[in-house]
Amino acid sequence: MELEVLKERFFEIVAPSIPNEWDVEEALGPLASDEAEYVDDIFSQIPAIWPVSHSLCFAYLHAAGPALCCLDTDELSLWVHSLLDRYETGGLRAAQHFMENVEQQFACYRRGEGGLRLVDVRGRLQPYVNGLAGRELTLITADMPSTDGESLFLPGEIGVFSEQDSNFLLYKLMASFQWACLDGGTFEAPAHLPLKKKQAHPLDCFFSEFDSPANARCLFHFFETARILQYLREELPGLMRQAAPLLDQLMQDEADSSSLLSRLQDGLLHNHWLDEGTSVVDDTARQLVATVVESAKDNSGSLDAVRELMPLVDVHENFENTKPLVFQGKLRLQEMRNLGLRAKMDKELRMMQSAHLPPVLQQTPKEQQPANGGQQQGQDAAMIIDIETALEQLPPFMHSQMNLESALPEEKNSQTTEPGQSATTENTVNANEGSGGQVFAKEGQGGRGGEPEHFEPIVYDEWDFRRKGFRKNWCVVREKEVTPVKNTFMEKTLTQYRGHIRRLRHQFERLQTSERFVRRQREGSDIDFDAVVESMSDMQAGRHGSDRLFIRLAREQRDIAVYFLVDMSNSTAGWVGQSIKEALVLICEAMEVLNDRYGIYGFSGMRRLRCEVFPVKRMDERYSQTVRERISAIGPREYTRMAPAIRHMTSLFSTVEAKVRLLIVLSDGKPEDYDDYKGDYAIEDTRHALLEAKAQGIHPFCITIDRQAHEYMDHMYGEVNYIFIDKIKQLPARMSEIYRSLTS
Amino acid sequence: MSGQQLRIDEYRIETEPYYLATGDELAVAEAAYADGSPLLLKGPTGCGKTRFMEYLAWYLKRPLVTVSCHDDLSTSDLVGRYLIRSGEAVWTDGPLTMAVRAGAICYLDEVVEARKDTTVVIHPLADDRRQLPIEKRGELLTAPNEFMLAVSYNPGYQSVLKDLKASTRQRFVALSFDYPEADMEAEIVCTEAGVDASLAKSLVKLAGMTRGLKDSGLPEGASTRLLIQTGKLIGRGISVKTACRAAISEALTDDKELLAAMDEMISSLF
Repeated sequence: MELEVLKERFFEIVAPSIPNEWDVEEALGPLASDEAEYVDDIFSQIPAIWPVSHSLCFAYLHAAGPALCCLDTDELSLWVHSLLDRYETGGLRAAQHFMENVEQQFACYRRGEGGLRLVDVRGRLQPYVNGLAGRELTLITADMPSTDGESLFLPGEIGVFSEQDSNFLLYKLMASFQWACLDGGTFEAPAHLPLKKKQAHPLDCFFSEFDSPANARCLFHFFETARILQYLREELPGLMRQAAPLLDQLMQDEADSSSLLSRLQDGLLHNHWLDEGTSVVDDTARQLVATVVESAKDNSGSLDAVRELMPLVDVHENFENTKPLVFQGKLRLQEMRNLGLRAKMDKELRMMQSAHLPPVLQQTPKEQQPANGGQQQGQDAAMIIDIETALEQLPPFMHSQMNLESALPEEKNSQTTEPGQSATTENTVNANEGSGGQVFAKEGQGGRGGEPEHFEPIVYDEWDFRRKGFRKNWCVVREKEVTPVKNTFMEKTLTQYRGHIRRLRHQFERLQTSERFVRRQREGSDIDFDAVVESMSDMQAGRHGSDRLFIRLAREQRDIAVYFLVDMSNSTAGWVGQSIKEALVLICEAMEVLNDRYGIYGFSGMRRLRCEVFPVKRMDERYSQTVRERISAIGPREYTRMAPAIRHMTSLFSTVEAKVRLLIVLSDGKPEDYDDYKGDYAIEDTRHALLEAKAQGIHPFCITIDRQAHEYMDHMYGEVNYIFIDKIKQLPARMSEIYRSLTS
Repeated sequence: MSGQQLRIDEYRIETEPYYLATGDELAVAEAAYADGSPLLLKGPTGCGKTRFMEYLAWYLKRPLVTVSCHDDLSTSDLVGRYLIRSGEAVWTDGPLTMAVRAGAICYLDEVVEARKDTTVVIHPLADDRRQLPIEKRGELLTAPNEFMLAVSYNPGYQSVLKDLKASTRQRFVALSFDYPEADMEAEIVCTEAGVDASLAKSLVKLAGMTRGLKDSGLPEGASTRLLIQTGKLIGRGISVKTACRAAISEALTDDKELLAAMDEMISSLF
């Protein structure tokens, strides 16, 4: 095909963007010689790739031709799918690497060949490991198996054996072995070397006593391996029985008898020892292994063995040249040490924060210091205990203050917020507000030490309709506190809608659990005398009397949980936002007479990495003064990336148990973000998020004031699941009405 | 009344049920019985709450009336109701009234499942009044000294809806139950299911592993009861792995990945 023709088609596809002509020429050059049908296939994928990354698209055009040598044309879209996944997880380089080797990276997996990947077995292996450990031990990809006490590191792919079952078994063995090291006490500090702050791991201190610490370390690891294998044989006999043939196969071919360690490994795995009397070192080692395996209950046996064997080892031996056994991996003593320290520091920090009043805390250790005087060693421990007990040492009025903190956040905010801050200033600060808000949150955290988990970002996938697949871990959603604002809005609204609220409450009250007597039942708490009389007269008349003689009290309980998700985008500035807020007040006032659980969240944000969700009222929170002030504080912020917020609500709903779970979205327009999140892409993503919600048994419903709503709402929510409100002034009144009709 | 007497005798426990005490729960329960205080047992499912009540009833030589509570349980289901028999309204005692009259132990299992308004009926019984008003008959029953009220619930369900009202729970002497220590649990499985000690130990290990799956989406791990069931299956000649799968993993979850993970645990252990 002519290059000019190709160029023209390419520009058509990527319009309205206009890439550099020479880039396009360069990328399309190799395709010019290809068959037309191939080119059509290759071009058909451009719309999926171009919006993600232009450079990726050019790279793809380069690679697609050669790729088609080993791919069927109908596999191409799958390949592109994986390519985009790679790009999004590992960047352009990972994607290029993926494209360079189509056969190895993609095709062989398609055919079910190649190794077993950790990602494919994680679903099975992770709960297995958690079950073994009784806690979460995250599986992380690494070159060699190892553990740092909080995570297990396993290779990303195992292709040692030709059967996948064996490869999986090896994964399982690796994971079990690493767990057993933790559980069996390989990393325990020896009794004579206590764990100290600002020092290497005690075991490392032990190794450093030898001429060659590295050799000592390897030997220790070997003896521990022998012990842990025995431990596994006792703890998990089934696994070891299954794995026995596997262990036999391991290292069979690469046994190298020149190094002592590799001779020992061979001895341990295959029971091939040097003949007795050949070498003193080997004989001693063999006996030591036997002792460790038979009698050692903790790592002290291995330490003794190292102590005994090291003087006999030839100075020229370098055990680091010997590959560790494949499941054995390496010891991560330093990481383990750091982790221990970090956990301690985290704890200290948390205590500091939760104690709320740093000055008091700073004093406490000082007061204690003289008492501890010269006891350097006890100092660290003492300090930690101090912080832990500091809470108890605080005066009682501070206890209550801390308990009240969650109930009365306006108090803490009065300390951190500038006195003049009000809703109006909030409304005027727009684009800069985001970053300013973040800084503020950071500053605030130390002081108020709220619950930090509220600020933990959560990552959600995003649906890309062009490739009919998810962009993995694409959007970062943060929950951000809304600073409660004291102003006259609440009062004004309550006065303005006084009559309305009273009427609403009355209407809502009637929605509440209806108790009614059901007559003429076979069973019930009371006798239905009408039925009895009737039945008896029937019998008198010689007819068959009914046995439905009881009254039963039927209670229809409402079991409804609802989240209101409020658009806080910039476009809601002015009377739209005002009406939305009024509507929220009205619905809250009315909801108070119902037992329905409800939560209110606002959402806004800018770009995928900063989607923000603002809890105005959490599901389990009371409709308190703070919540009222948070409603007053709702104001326009940035853009409308709706789907991540919906996905967040869906995940919040997963912890809520209710017969009816309702998600009511209040919006003023199409989903849209600062980047290219707009148009069909945004609508399709939102639609998909709603479908996901529906799959979870949540009923989404949208109240919109966008005049163009009919064009896309049908598609997003389904015909009957949204309502368009023409006159914004009606919103407050209509919303409660809508809620009532939705739930009755 | 003789009919009543006959009925209550059916609730007597003649032979000593197997119960291995894990702490001083028996002493506490006995003291509570002597004081006329009601008992609240809490703990995960299948950890021995009901068995403890059976043992206590046997030990105290009182009949045990057990009511499994559900969300449709009404007050008259507990207290009693009028029934129409051959044209006449006949009063029939509910299990609670029957237990009060006979001085038995009334055990309301999973009491949080009952509606809150139903639970209120036990309030006057559960404090020092020890009375049961039967409104429909205009009768006020005072419980004899031998009567004891016991309720149980599982705090693991963690639902706002399913929690005991403070006014209810503050009337009880509470005993917390949990799965026994590994050795004891193995002994229990060994005795109850009649399997050998090493198998019992492995079963307990497996249970321990499933209990570690809380964060992975398994709200409750295998209970002692499940282990006993598994042991019994094995005793009937079912292979260990099949029995574990049938009585433990499939009983615990439908989730494919968790099932696979539990399969791995089973194959590792046996």
